Amino acid sequence: MPKSLELKEGASLPTVKKNIIQGNINLYAKASGDFNPIHIDADYARKTPLGGTVAHGMLILAYVSQMMTSAFGRDWLSGGRLNVRFRAPARPGDVITVSGSIRRIEKGDGYQMIDCDVLCRNQNDEPVITGDARVKVGRQ
Amino acid sequence: MAEERKIEYPDLKAGQEFPPTSFQVDSITVADYLKAVGEDNVMYRNTGLVPPMAVAALALKALISAISMPPGTIHVSQEFEFMAAVSTRDTLTSQATVSRIQERGKLHLITVAVSVFNQENKPVLAGKTGFILPVP
Repeated sequence: MPKSLELKEGASLPTVKKNIIQGNINLYAKASGDFNPIHIDADYARKTPLGGTVAHGMLILAYVSQMMTSAFGRDWLSGGRLNVRFRAPARPGDVITVSGSIRRIEKGDGYQMIDCDVLCRNQNDEPVITGDARVKVGRQ
Repeated sequence: MAEERKIEYPDLKAGQEFPPTSFQVDSITVADYLKAVGEDNVMYRNTGLVPPMAVAALALKALISAISMPPGTIHVSQEFEFMAAVSTRDTLTSQATVSRIQERGKLHLITVAVSVFNQENKPVLAGKTGFILPVP
């Protein structure tokens, strides 16, 4: 776990800020195998109620995981949990800020269970993803 | 080779299991994923470690490929548990089950549970995905 994170209730997690760019959405489509045209075909997406392409929800969720990995390191990879709702689409041109805070710490025998609130907001402060994350730090 | 027919989502039933799918997350896919999400954590640099959300994305890919989702399908919720670190040397098997189907007016709420195991049959990831789809 990165030394800079103070493990105490109320502590903020390291913020992640991302510009949503169609090029990255296209790269994510390739990496994930999700080529739904709503993400990558501007002509198709324009004719839908969404009015244009949107980023994969899983891409934005990957940013949450990136924040948790930055905060908790390898403990996140082998002891992390996410529980989120997708509130709004993220579109090319949006700036997404991923933030979180430690809500509760439960001490166990040689480990700590850390409960966090997580939030992704766009540049208009609208929630894109809300939810919580949990990670077991220490003995796995 | 004939393309496998997708299951039409009105035909889905609670408890329905999808055939297991095997996959590996190779170093090229990891590199593509890291570039796509702008992840520069040194933990992934030449270590063979796979970001857990890359595993999750590929597990969901198999699921989405099996179901014919109509236009207007919305991914509304997601749960994941990451139980063990995954490496590019691992061979993974993904299993999916329709855990719940609810009808609310003109919408279907479908929840699908996904589990991923490595070659030692050790669970590495579990998740639940919630979709809203229009009733046909």
